[in-house]
Amino acid sequence: MSVIGKNTPRIDGPAKVSGKQQYASDIIIPGMMYAVTLRSPYPHAEILSIDTSEAEAMGAVCLTYEDIIPVIYNERSVSVPAATYRDRTVLPKKARHIGEPIAAVAADTEELAYKAMQALKVEYKVLDAVYEPEEAMKDGAPQLYDKIYFGDEEVIVKNNIGVVRNIDEGDSVGGFARADRIFEEDFELPRIYHCQLETKGCVAAPDTEGGITVWATAQSIHGNRQLLAQTLGLPLSKVNVKKITLGGGFGSSIQVNTVTPICAALAMKARRPVKLLSAREEDFYSHHKYPSKFHVRIGVTNDGVITAAHVKALIDFGAHQIQPMSFMGCVAGWFASLYKYEGNIKFDGVAVYTNKTPCCAMQGYGNPQINFAIESMVDIICNEMGFDPIQFRLKNYRGTGEEFWGQGPTIRSIIKSCGVEESLVEGSKLMEEWATRGKPEDKHGDILTGVGLARGFHCSGTAGPKEGEVIDYSSALVKVNEDGSIDCVTPVMDHGGGTWDALAKILTEVFKVPLNMVGLSPADTKNTGYDVCTHATRGVYCGGAAVYNAAVKCRDKLLEFAGRVMDEHPCHLEIVENEELGQGFIQVKGFPQKGRTIGEVAKIAQINSWGTAMYAESFRQKNCPPCFTTHFVKVAVNTRTGEITIPKVVIYGDCGVAMNPDLLYGQLIGSFNRGLGYVLYENLPHDERTGKLKNNGLLVDYKMPTAVEMPKAENVIVRHAHTYEPTGPFGAKGIGEAALASVQAAIANAIYNATGIRFTKLPITPEIMLKALQEKGLAHK
Amino acid sequence: MSKHDITLNVNGKKYELTVNSNELLLNVLRDKLFLTGSKYGCGIAECGACTILKDDESYFACMVPAVAADGWNITTVEGLADGDKLNPVQQAFIDNSAIQCGFCVPGMVVTSTALLRENPDPDEDFVKDYLRGNFCRCTGYVAMVKSVLDAASKMKEAK
Amino acid sequence: MTTRILATEFDYLKPATLEEALKILSEKENVRILAGGTDVIVKMKVAGMTCDYLMDVKGIDSLDYAKLDDDGVFHIGALAKLSHLEKNPIVAERYPALKEAFHLMASISVRNMATMVGNICNASPVADSVVPCICYNAILTLASVRGQRTVPIEKFFLAPGVTVMEKDEMLIDVALPQPEANSGAAFIKKTRVRPDIAKISVGVRVVRDGDKANFCRIAMGAIAATPAYLEATSALVIGKKVTPELIAEVAAHAAAAIHPIDDNRTTAEYRVAIAEVLTKDALTEAWRNAGGEL
Repeated sequence: MSVIGKNTPRIDGPAKVSGKQQYASDIIIPGMMYAVTLRSPYPHAEILSIDTSEAEAMGAVCLTYEDIIPVIYNERSVSVPAATYRDRTVLPKKARHIGEPIAAVAADTEELAYKAMQALKVEYKVLDAVYEPEEAMKDGAPQLYDKIYFGDEEVIVKNNIGVVRNIDEGDSVGGFARADRIFEEDFELPRIYHCQLETKGCVAAPDTEGGITVWATAQSIHGNRQLLAQTLGLPLSKVNVKKITLGGGFGSSIQVNTVTPICAALAMKARRPVKLLSAREEDFYSHHKYPSKFHVRIGVTNDGVITAAHVKALIDFGAHQIQPMSFMGCVAGWFASLYKYEGNIKFDGVAVYTNKTPCCAMQGYGNPQINFAIESMVDIICNEMGFDPIQFRLKNYRGTGEEFWGQGPTIRSIIKSCGVEESLVEGSKLMEEWATRGKPEDKHGDILTGVGLARGFHCSGTAGPKEGEVIDYSSALVKVNEDGSIDCVTPVMDHGGGTWDALAKILTEVFKVPLNMVGLSPADTKNTGYDVCTHATRGVYCGGAAVYNAAVKCRDKLLEFAGRVMDEHPCHLEIVENEELGQGFIQVKGFPQKGRTIGEVAKIAQINSWGTAMYAESFRQKNCPPCFTTHFVKVAVNTRTGEITIPKVVIYGDCGVAMNPDLLYGQLIGSFNRGLGYVLYENLPHDERTGKLKNNGLLVDYKMPTAVEMPKAENVIVRHAHTYEPTGPFGAKGIGEAALASVQAAIANAIYNATGIRFTKLPITPEIMLKALQEKGLAHK
Repeated sequence: MSKHDITLNVNGKKYELTVNSNELLLNVLRDKLFLTGSKYGCGIAECGACTILKDDESYFACMVPAVAADGWNITTVEGLADGDKLNPVQQAFIDNSAIQCGFCVPGMVVTSTALLRENPDPDEDFVKDYLRGNFCRCTGYVAMVKSVLDAASKMKEAK
Repeated sequence: MTTRILATEFDYLKPATLEEALKILSEKENVRILAGGTDVIVKMKVAGMTCDYLMDVKGIDSLDYAKLDDDGVFHIGALAKLSHLEKNPIVAERYPALKEAFHLMASISVRNMATMVGNICNASPVADSVVPCICYNAILTLASVRGQRTVPIEKFFLAPGVTVMEKDEMLIDVALPQPEANSGAAFIKKTRVRPDIAKISVGVRVVRDGDKANFCRIAMGAIAATPAYLEATSALVIGKKVTPELIAEVAAHAAAAIHPIDDNRTTAEYRVAIAEVLTKDALTEAWRNAGGEL
């Protein structure tokens, strides 16, 4: 029986519950040294000198700017080089944010390494720092960079402006002119932190042939390998990055983690294996989600048609570029793809350097940010103009047959599957309180309740029909063993969402074998073709497609062998399931009388020296289909304390065919929890005097919702839309990042429904809520 | 800094070793006993990734100097299963699809095991409250809470 | 600062008796006491705390108790763990506000490790167990080689992390008098998420005489440099008939009496605003628990 669409226990479940699953941080190699980094205590300072003598006298190996090859790079390499800004080296001559690694030491124990690190003597020239993008753009503000590179071109940085990105399509002037009403709002979303539970880390082991083997917290082993080869000055063939389970990603390891090239360089210098694991307080300073400010204008006619929209974005991306350029392109794309706007859209984005932690993708790459703005605007429009929020969305959304921007303006494809209508209509029935939610002015009491709606999406991968700014393909090798079991070697990463289980299921479906006959082999950069990265919700849709295509070609080869065995033409043969035999059975199409198991055919091929039924290839998808989500959220606002709780949520996901519904629901519920954090709790304020994070990088002052803050299990209602993505492996597309996109606006819209207060800035803490209630005369004592 | 000969009883096995006074139990378990199931997540008793059992009670190994654990009976996640037979909580985490990246899972199943020893018949609120010190960024907890309740009912049936 | 290791170096000492421990405190310099470790280890990792000697007192079995004496006073020893106290039937019956405070602290694992005495000695302005202890008129016993002395808990704290304890002293016992008949108490704590240090905590205990209160203690955490006993606010209740109007007046007085600060957890403004709400709720609950009607 097919396992596609069925709940099957996670393949890695037993290893993960028994503590036997190995993560990069668990790698221990005999003779291994432990490394510690020295982090800049200043937000902006030139490093004049580093005296390592005392540390070396303690037996430590030290790495400073002097020891590294000064390759200038961008940690994130999923965009083509010509669309990539480069501004950093493995270790800097100038620190540009607090917590930036400026040297590293390795010693026999972590305690000794730390002591040696403290013995490094650094001479700094402290410079003025700037923290807010508006300040950074002013003439005379401290400048983080003089010049950087765009592709191979040198770029002079003026006023700390890292990237400007303007997109103008259709006729927005005309569109606004046709509108009966124009709505305009400012939105602001905070810096937050991935808080993947495994802190970023690396183990690097030099070999006797001048090469190096690396285990790193990584969403892309090939991205790591390519950068390491560059920064170590080695041929790619001398650098092997091993695929290993990752303790949470959320985008934090799309780019090569800052510590990884440091660890590798240190290991090469020490000629010994080195382990470098970030402490949590270091990890807190390594990457954040992009804080975003938007000014949004939307024009609407009296009969509920959106005629034009204009978004201005101001992005503070911190001290290094981890692709704010493609980030802004994506923000524009998410915005452009939410509604039709009669094709009239305008986007003006500016991204600015500040002396803060560099920002990178974090589940959604701008999507949760801009979705909050647009879906809040839609709620404002519906409230002000009296439109039904579901009908208004159905009238204006981009669905089947419309163009979808999968990764900014250069990656587009036509939507071929869409569960938006089902999600909105059926979701509103599951949230019974939706119909009776009432208006804010009718609500009274100490506890005000409200229901909010928002919808969103994300791309499934970044592989449009035409290649654009973003690289997207994957590789896989598939072979049929001589007993009918299947091996697959692929570099595609799984961060816990269940990608690997989905890949295994794809193989079972092609070869009609049970799940336990399929294995994903250990993989590394030496034995696999390139895979860009598990990012952009592309694991199943793109990585799975590579596995599918390799599997199909491997099957064709097997059928050719079978044709020889069975005196048939392969075109007449098929593989069918045979539960009794426990493996795939090859027969003449529709006629089971004459047949062989796939294992028998593989074995005969082997002993006759015909060869192994195997196939390896790299494969690019040719679409970037949206996966959709819809959230109906009920909130309860305590007017005495400002506390907001969530009694109930209905979540609809559209991922095409769900490979494993339970894992899909896990993605949707987990994302709801993170959205709850984004809306109600999380923020990373900096001390304006010192540039330090106010929480000092400690979890004690970065609170995320726990089990207690979640609604009761029976009130977390999750469904998936019944769609089939024709271009996906067995109808599948993605879900991961979409799952977060609409959480934020749904909660904020529910708070509006409860209180009549519109929040356009996150987070909405009890302090902020209570103050707003007081100002509106709604606070009780 | 003083050095100490200590004995740790971990997962039913006796380990005699010498530690410096400032070595942490978590690091000793991981780096000297190679029991890497217990994880470092925050180092300050905020995340629960390093949860172990001392006798039947859950402790955070990141908060304990190894020397102070001399003579303790410790169970780490590696000691929960009986050979390949997972304990009911571990099995329930698999059955209820409560696992994603899995990095919190060792601490989560250790805490949940302690929970069921303390209260074999918990309700949802009890479970949520008990797990509040174990942080998971992936799952949103719902499936984990269901897993513990499921394990409780399976254990009751088995009796 | 590093949370991965203990970077500071010290000698580890493990006395088996109180006498031995007090001798160490009197003879050696720069000794830190390790009981549960959940405060001291964190401070060593992140707050630059160092010591020459880390004295593990967990070997002093005589300090591990929670028991009634002949006069009906409940004594909690220095090694009594928070989770054990939380489950102690005497705590549940006599000191429910304290039980609630224990339950709301941190996580089960921290409560399995941490002691109540450690929570008090940490001298945080937020210490959850202190607030109800003030309401319950707790008396602390400090011991040194020079002898013992007692201090009412509200007089114990001087500043964040600073107490009246001399460097050779150890807090060995917390004595909680038996609450009077018709007494009721409540403890309310507001946090960001459930496992958290308080933004503000309020404890109230009243003793009812008919429709009047003849005793009241209101205490708050996280609103001043030390856990605070709001004596003047409490005095407003004593001898009065307890009514919703009186409760509202007392709550407003409490909010006016405090001068909190902004910190990572909340703002001064919010603390003042909900001090009033929480005082009202806690006083109402305590009064009802004392059998009072409103």
